[in-house]
Amino acid sequence: MGSKRNISLAKALRYKGQASYLTYILHRIGGSALFVFFTVYLLGLLGVESMHALMRNWLFQVIFLIFGLFHAINGLRITFLDLSPKLMEHFRTAINIEWVAYVLVAGFALFVVLRNAFGD
Amino acid sequence: MTTRTLPISKRGFNFETFMWAFTRFTAIAMYGFVLAGMIGGLIASAQTGADLGEVFYWAFFPNMAGNPLGQIWMTILAKLMVIAFVLTACGHGVHGALEIWDDYFASEGARRWARNFVIIYAFVASLIAIYVIWTA
Repeated sequence: MGSKRNISLAKALRYKGQASYLTYILHRIGGSALFVFFTVYLLGLLGVESMHALMRNWLFQVIFLIFGLFHAINGLRITFLDLSPKLMEHFRTAINIEWVAYVLVAGFALFVVLRNAFGD
Repeated sequence: MTTRTLPISKRGFNFETFMWAFTRFTAIAMYGFVLAGMIGGLIASAQTGADLGEVFYWAFFPNMAGNPLGQIWMTILAKLMVIAFVLTACGHGVHGALEIWDDYFASEGARRWARNFVIIYAFVASLIAIYVIWTA
């Protein structure tokens, strides 16, 4: 199996996949971001001060929250649809609900992070 | 648009089904741990008068923050819960990372190396996390 795809991300997003494909890609990016976060967290626990400082950095927190929260919320949708196959008929509605939930949760989290970073 | 779905009872039980179920159920377990952790944090902060942020900071960095829970028995439960969460996250993450890497590593050798690396990484990381959390 080769790794050549010859299709750009922009082209793929315009293809039939659309919302499903976008969530698929973002889920993978989110999972990778959490993998990096776990490593940074572990090194921070071990007392590596630079990693601890990185976790306190607002930009790191923003990036982690944007992708990490998407992974968590999208994972919930995937689990619901996988365990209740009948709901698969309504997957587009489920994706729309997911986006609303994501915007609300991520919006609140970003507000708190940015207020702590730049507030007062 | 019609979708084709296969009932869970007819999916059979092979390695793929097992890993599919494992990934889904570890995800559900993590939601459970997060929910229990948040409720536990709220109860602990109310009982001890500690700031909720302080409780969470201790939960995430037990060896760097002062323990706001003091000597109460919740400390052991909290440590066990954090350890269980880390192990669940590791199990979930190993499968997720392999699924992504398998798509980009074309050769058998590269896939074998990626597989060995991520399994060893998860094992070592879990041991370190357990040690740090338990001895904090």
